[in-house]
Amino acid sequence: MTGATTEPARAGSPLTRIAWHCRNNPKRELWFAWYTTVIFYNIFFIVFFPVTHAQPPPHPYWSDALVANWFGHNHNGLLIGFGIIFTIAGATAPQNALIAYSMRRMSVSRVFPYTYLVMYSLSAIPGLLLLCVVLSVGALRPGRDPAQLHWLYDFGFLSYTGTMGIFLIGSLVWMLAILLDKNRVMPKWFGYLNLCNALTEVVVAPAWIFHSGVFAWNGLISWWVDMVVFGIYTGAFLIQLRNLIRREDFGDGPLPGLTKKPEATAATLAGTAHD
Amino acid sequence: MRRADGELILLWTLPVVAVIWISAFFLFPGFAHPMSPSMTAAQVAAFYRDPAHLSRIRYSMILFNWFAPGLIPLLMLIVMQVRRMAHRTPILSYCLLACSAGGPAIFLVADVFWLLAAFQPARDTQLTVLFNDLAWMTFTTAVPFLIAQSLFLALAIYLDRPDRLVFRRWIAFFNIAVAAALVPAAFTGLALSGPMAWNGLLPFWVKNIAIAAWIVVMSVVIGQNIYRERSEGSAPQAAEAPVAA
Repeated sequence: MTGATTEPARAGSPLTRIAWHCRNNPKRELWFAWYTTVIFYNIFFIVFFPVTHAQPPPHPYWSDALVANWFGHNHNGLLIGFGIIFTIAGATAPQNALIAYSMRRMSVSRVFPYTYLVMYSLSAIPGLLLLCVVLSVGALRPGRDPAQLHWLYDFGFLSYTGTMGIFLIGSLVWMLAILLDKNRVMPKWFGYLNLCNALTEVVVAPAWIFHSGVFAWNGLISWWVDMVVFGIYTGAFLIQLRNLIRREDFGDGPLPGLTKKPEATAATLAGTAHD
Repeated sequence: MRRADGELILLWTLPVVAVIWISAFFLFPGFAHPMSPSMTAAQVAAFYRDPAHLSRIRYSMILFNWFAPGLIPLLMLIVMQVRRMAHRTPILSYCLLACSAGGPAIFLVADVFWLLAAFQPARDTQLTVLFNDLAWMTFTTAVPFLIAQSLFLALAIYLDRPDRLVFRRWIAFFNIAVAAALVPAAFTGLALSGPMAWNGLLPFWVKNIAIAAWIVVMSVVIGQNIYRERSEGSAPQAAEAPVAA
């Protein structure tokens, strides 16, 4: 890094400024993770709502014929939409990495970030990709036996809605880290918001039992209330992570480990979380 | 250099595991001439009921079940190299860690569906087709973490210090090319025949050759780096100045 890194690029076109930040911004790794997360959620919303119509979820009490009709009606949307998800689902990793990084800045054991990172990394399989695979298989052959299509439909929506433990324990791990932290990396109220998110995983459990009503997988509580809480929670953690990145002060010092130790104060500061 | 010695053992498991993977690939009768998604239900059922096929399906998938996670040590060796890069945060090594378990885990789901189809080949033909579809779709679309880890690695190389690169620049471009080669497989459900079907040029041959090439190339460059680290580590002054925290 040169002295130019201290001068924010205010002149030039937006593309020039983006290019400057890609080359010189000392926080570019963090901003990469943050923007990837924002872009992923936008694409996720577009795919799951208007493209595949997998959200809001259709009814669990539908007959075989109605389910077969749903697959036939959404054939292209499901296959194109989930094709997009199969392409970009790995973009969930930077979000988990950034959240784990936030815990590395806290005065808590490394057990917390590593637990969260592993737990949420695997969550994409039962909580996202199984739904995409199973509904894609349903859409692949709309002429399949409707009873089998119904099994795929149940499998998809129940695996998506009913994968609770990972998100429950993961949210509680993040909450505990925030509440124990003395470095004030995240505000305490956000710690308690994690508890709200964890509780949504409790109230979706009846989706495994009820076929209709507020606790069904598309019910008022199990889907709508949960979705509102999840939306608020996601918005809040994106803002909190953005604040975290803004507060980070890497300065324009040398990169970690590239100078001799007596002169490496800036590097030491920058490298405290590099482990 | 105890750590490097341990890494060498993990590195040299890769050729062994690769031989097993290649053997299992050709042992499975549905790969050498990949099964078409346009096969009729009777043809699919006959494939699993054929006594000449049945043992080969079971043994090949048991081999994959044993050895598919053998890829994870390679990914961890890459994570260790990324940690040596001149980055300010551990974000990209965390990203690669987050991707590492996903690919093998999804593959194991496909493996289970193939084994289920072969477990009771006399069951209802339609159910055999269902398990076969689930296996092939899971196997073919299991690319998200492979795409992501290639792109994260390319970015990590881009962000490394140009005068002391851990990986040379061409490896970044190679990883981007591999990621691009894997994308068509994500959309395989759109076609039951032709180059985009799961037995077609792009989702089967290009994808699997790209994965194989990635494993070979990354194993070689990781091996070179580990041996270089080992030789540098024997010099006393090098031990005083590690490349990265």
